[in-house]
Amino acid sequence: MSEHNFTKENLCPNCGKIWKPADRQDHCPNCLCGIHHEDDDGEICGGTLEPVSVWIQEDGAWEILQRCRLCGHMTATPMTHKDSRIKVLSIASKPLSTPPFPVEKIRELTRIMGGQGDIEQE
Amino acid sequence: MNRENKKRKYDKRYFRTHPYTDAFTCKVCGWPVVSAGAGTNHRNHCPNCLYSIHLDNEPGDRESRCRGRMEPIGVWVRKNGEWAIIHRCSICGKISSNRVAADDNPMKLMALAMRPFASPVIRPEEVRQLTTRMEGR
Repeated sequence: MSEHNFTKENLCPNCGKIWKPADRQDHCPNCLCGIHHEDDDGEICGGTLEPVSVWIQEDGAWEILQRCRLCGHMTATPMTHKDSRIKVLSIASKPLSTPPFPVEKIRELTRIMGGQGDIEQE
Repeated sequence: MNRENKKRKYDKRYFRTHPYTDAFTCKVCGWPVVSAGAGTNHRNHCPNCLYSIHLDNEPGDRESRCRGRMEPIGVWVRKNGEWAIIHRCSICGKISSNRVAADDNPMKLMALAMRPFASPVIRPEEVRQLTTRMEGR
């Protein structure tokens, strides 16, 4: 139960797809969900890890950031070539589609708070 | 107030139940950070560079010995539509999520959200092949 099976077929608890892991993949390629087997203290959690965001590393590799639905633990797992491109792009573009401030006012807002960074070159 | 100061000094669990409201200087960019204006009592990252410091294991316990810089690596949208920044410790690799504050630098927040679209990992040809297959051609 606590160890992930990297050789046999897995049944995704979220979308029901049966998938075979490629290159030590621990998440479903269809919905990018995984299972949170153990927390940091070694206690069994068993919650569903749902994808919340993507992380672009310094060398350009993508990682999928997942959050446990049960305990809120956050992990990163490498994206594989089999992962659904539609799902990955949908997660990556979610923050852009619901910005917390009016996007057209971004320069004024940055000037008000005195922060660094600008859209256009000076 | 004296009693409160004493409690704060000796009670190890003080910040689990009380917000830290003192001003501090960002260790990464040198920004003078004050508690006011965040829209929340829990100022846990610099509003200019969005970096944080790895102090806690659980919120407010101040128990981590790592003290590493927590780099902002992404943003995500919570169920209530609010953004949260995902921080990763550059020393131990712990990942945590923190709510955005009202006065966080909008440029840097947007740059975090735009980062995936500048990456060449998902190639345009790959997406074109996918859309062709989806159209059933």
